[in-house]
Amino acid sequence: MTKQTIAAAAALAALGAAACAPRMQPVRAVQPNGAIVRSTQDDDIAHARAQGQSERTRLAAEQDAVQGQALAACTPMLCNAIARGELAVGMTREQVMAATHSGPAAWEERGGGGITTLTPPDEGRAPHDVLGEVAFVTLQNGRVSGYAYREPQGVRLVSSAADATAEGTARARAQALLREGDELAMAGDFNRALNYYDRADIISPNDPAVTLRMARALDKQLRPYEALIRYQLFLHQLEIERIHAYGDAYAQYGAAVAEARSRILVLERSGR
Amino acid sequence: MKTLARGLRAALATGAILVSGGCATQVTRISPDQQIDLSGRWNDVDSRQVADAMVRQSFQAEYGPSWAMQFMQQHGGRKPTLIVGTIRNRSMEHIPVETFVRDIERAYLGSGQVQVVASNEERQEVREERADQQENASADSRARLGRERGAQYMLQGDISQITDREGGRRVVYYQVDMTLVDLETNAKTWTGQHKIKKIVEQPRFRL
Repeated sequence: MTKQTIAAAAALAALGAAACAPRMQPVRAVQPNGAIVRSTQDDDIAHARAQGQSERTRLAAEQDAVQGQALAACTPMLCNAIARGELAVGMTREQVMAATHSGPAAWEERGGGGITTLTPPDEGRAPHDVLGEVAFVTLQNGRVSGYAYREPQGVRLVSSAADATAEGTARARAQALLREGDELAMAGDFNRALNYYDRADIISPNDPAVTLRMARALDKQLRPYEALIRYQLFLHQLEIERIHAYGDAYAQYGAAVAEARSRILVLERSGR
Repeated sequence: MKTLARGLRAALATGAILVSGGCATQVTRISPDQQIDLSGRWNDVDSRQVADAMVRQSFQAEYGPSWAMQFMQQHGGRKPTLIVGTIRNRSMEHIPVETFVRDIERAYLGSGQVQVVASNEERQEVREERADQQENASADSRARLGRERGAQYMLQGDISQITDREGGRRVVYYQVDMTLVDLETNAKTWTGQHKIKKIVEQPRFRL
C-alpha cells in the first residue's frame, strides 16, 4: 500500500464523517458567557407597585363615592343589610355595590324600560355577599326586585324578604336537593336519590314532602321496615301540619295520604 | 556535570512552585448578575431568567390590566390572596425550584398588588407555634385561632426538559410553565411561560 493510497483513504474517511454530521447554520449566542446582565425584577416590582398604588387610590375614591351614595338614602333595614354585607330586596345599584364590596367594573348592566339586570362580566370573579356568589341582580325602576346566588345545587333566587331569611334559604336549598333526588329516582338510582333526600331532610327537617319521597324510595328498594317508618312519620307530620294549617295540608296531600295509608297496610301485612 | 545538576535542580524547584501555585484554591467574588455557564446544566442564571420573565408576565397582561389589577377593580380595591402550590420538576436534572418561587413571592409582596399566604408546608410550623401559644403565652399577646386568611388563587407549575445529543454536542431545552388557578372554580386565571435553549459543546479530549 503506497503513501498516496493511505492519504486518499484518510481523506475519504474524513469526507464521509463530515457528510454524516448533522448540518446546521452557525449558532448565535443571545447572551455571551460571562456577561453581566442585570435582573429586571426590581424595576418590574417598582413599576407594579406604582401602578397598583395609583389604581388603589382611584378605586378607594370610587368606593367612597359609592358608599356615600348608598348610605345617604337607605332605610334602617337596608343600612343594616349593607353593614352585614348582604343583598336585600329594595336596594339601589350603589347599595348593591356597597353590600357586595364591589365597584362598577364588577358588573355589566343590561336591559331597559325600567328593568335592568346586573351580571358579573366574568363568572370566575363574580362578586360575593356574605351568603355566597351573586349570579345576577334585577332592578326595577332603580330598586332591587330580585337577585340570585350561584350555589352547588344551582341558582337560588331571592325575590322577597321571606326568601332571604334562614328558613327561606333552607327551603330553597332543600327544594334544589329534592329536584336532584327526583332526577336520580327517575333514573332508577334510588341509593343516590336517598342521599339527596337525606341532605334535604337535614336542612329542612319535618317536611312531609321530603319524608314521603324517602318512604317511596325505600319502598322501591324493598326495604319495608324503613319504608313503613317513613310512611308513618309522613302521616304524623301531616297531623302536625293539619293542626297548624287547619286542613290545608290534607287538601294538598290528599292523594299522598291515601297512598301512604295503603302502603302501610300492605307493608304491615307482608311483615307479619 | 555540576552545571547540569544545578540546572536540573533549578528546573525541578520552578516546576514544584508552579504546580503548587496551580493547585492552590482561588476564590474570586463576582456579581450575582454575571452570567457564568460551566457545565450547561440548570444554574442560577436560568433560575433568575425564569423569575424575571414570570414577574414581568404576572404584572403585564397581553391586553388590558393584569389579573391582580382586574381582581382589585372588581372587588373595590381588595387585593387577591395567593398561595404557592407545587412546582413540579419533570426534567432529568436536579432543579431547586425554591429559588425562583421565592423571587416570585417577593415580587408579589413587593408590588403591593397581591397578598401571599404561607404554603402548606410553611403553615404547619406556624400552626404548631400558634397552638403552643394558646397554652404558654399571655392572653394579651397570644395569636388567636381561626384567623387564617384563605387564598383565592393557587400558583402551580412545572419544568419540562428536552435534550438532544450527538457526539460532543448537546442541545438542552427547558420550558417552565406556571399557572394561577382559581381555588373555587378551578378556572385558570393566568399562565406564564419561559423557554430556555442552550447548546453545550464539549471537547472530546481534555487535559
